[in-house]
Amino acid sequence: MRGIALGGACLLLLLSVLFGQNISYQPDPGWRVPPEAAARANPLASKPKTAAGGKKLFLRNCVECHGEDGSGLVKKHAADLQLPIVQSEPDGALFWKITNGNPDRGMPSFSRLPELQRWQLVLYLRSLRPAPPQ
Amino acid sequence: MRSGLVIACLLVAALGGLPAWTQEAPYFVTYDHHLEEPGNLEIATSSTLGVPRSGQKSYFAPYTELEYGVTGRWTSELYLEGQSTSGDSAVFTGWRWENRFRPLAREHRINPVIYLEYESINEASRIQKEVVGNAPDFAEPNSELRQAHAHELETKLILSSTVHDWNIAENFIVEKNLSQDEGLEFGYAVGVSRSLGTLASSANCRFCRENFAAGLEMYGGLGSTRGFGLHDTAHYLAPVIAWQISDNSSLHFSPAIGLTHGSNPVLLRFGYSYEIRGLGGKLARLFGGTP
Repeated sequence: MRGIALGGACLLLLLSVLFGQNISYQPDPGWRVPPEAAARANPLASKPKTAAGGKKLFLRNCVECHGEDGSGLVKKHAADLQLPIVQSEPDGALFWKITNGNPDRGMPSFSRLPELQRWQLVLYLRSLRPAPPQ
Repeated sequence: MRSGLVIACLLVAALGGLPAWTQEAPYFVTYDHHLEEPGNLEIATSSTLGVPRSGQKSYFAPYTELEYGVTGRWTSELYLEGQSTSGDSAVFTGWRWENRFRPLAREHRINPVIYLEYESINEASRIQKEVVGNAPDFAEPNSELRQAHAHELETKLILSSTVHDWNIAENFIVEKNLSQDEGLEFGYAVGVSRSLGTLASSANCRFCRENFAAGLEMYGGLGSTRGFGLHDTAHYLAPVIAWQISDNSSLHFSPAIGLTHGSNPVLLRFGYSYEIRGLGGKLARLFGGTP
C-alpha cells in the first residue's frame, strides 16, 4: 500500500514537472531593464492586426519554454507571461528582455529577429490572459 | 564519412517532428555572436564544391556538424569531414571539436565571442570552413595528402553587432599546427546579413519574405609569422542566402568568388540544418536523470 502511494506521488511529481505551469515564477532581480529602454513605445501599437504575426512568432520561438498559453513551463523555469508582474511591465521593458535574453537563466537573446518582429511579439504578449475558471 | 552521414540521418529520423525555429544567420564561414540555445542540438550537413583553375581538379568536400548548446554562454560542436577529388579518390579527412564562449550576458554595440577549436585533420581537407595562412596547393594527389596528418589549434575572436535589422560580424583567426612548425597562421572573415522580411505575416507560409535571410561575406588568409600579409594568399567574396524551410530546418547556399590567383575561381557551398529542441533534457529523462 505504501509502495503504491509512493509510486503515485512520484508519478504526480513527474507529471507536474513534465506538464506543469509555472505559477510560482519569481523574476530574476538581476535582470534589470535600463529606464531609457523601458520608456520606448511600441511602434506597432496603432496596428493591432500585426499581433497575428506576433502569435506566429510566439508559437515558433517561445512555446518550447513558455507554453502555448504563455503560462511558463516549470521544467524550463520559464516566466508565466500571464502574471500581473509580467503584464504590468511597459512595452519597452518586454522588448528589451526579448532582445537581450537572460542566458544565465536559460532565456536566449532574440536580437536575431528583426526589430519590428520583436515588437510584434510584445503586441501578442499583451493578449495573453489566464483562462476564465470553468 | 558516409557512416557519419548515415548516423546523422538516423538521428534526424529518430528525433524528427519536434518543433523548433532556428532563424540562423546565412553565413558559411563567418560567425556571429548568437550561440545555440541550451539543450538544443543542431545537425547540419554541408558541402564545399571547388571549381578548379586549368590544370587542377575539381573537388567535393562534405562535412557534418553536430552543434549543442551546453549552456546559455557555451556552444560545443563536432565536425566530421571528407573529400572527393575528380579522377582521384574519396577520403575521410578528419574531425574537429569547436567551442564558442560568450563572455558578456547582455547585447552590446559590439558583442565578443571567444572561439577555440582542436582539429585532427589531414592535408587533404578541403571544406575551407576557415581560410588562413598562405594559399593551399591543390595539385597533389589525395594518396599523398592523406599521409600528412595535422593536429591544429585554432582560435578566433568573433565580434558581432546588431544594427537595426542588420548583423555585422568580424572574425580574426589565429591557427597553430601542433604537428609541424609552420609558425602562427592568420586569417579573417567578415560578413553582413539581414532577414528579408521585417514584419512577420500572419499566414503560415514557406515562401514568405521573413523566411529568407541574405548577406555577403568575405574571408581569406593573412599569411603567417613567417610572412605576414596578402602575398600568395586566398581570398573569397561570397553572397549568402538562407531559407527557413520549416520550423526546424533550413537550407543555405553560397557561391564564393575567388579574388586572388591562390584561390579557387569559384567555391559553391550548400548546407542543410535541422534543429532538435531540448535534447539534453530528453536524454537525461531517458537515462533516469534530472533534465
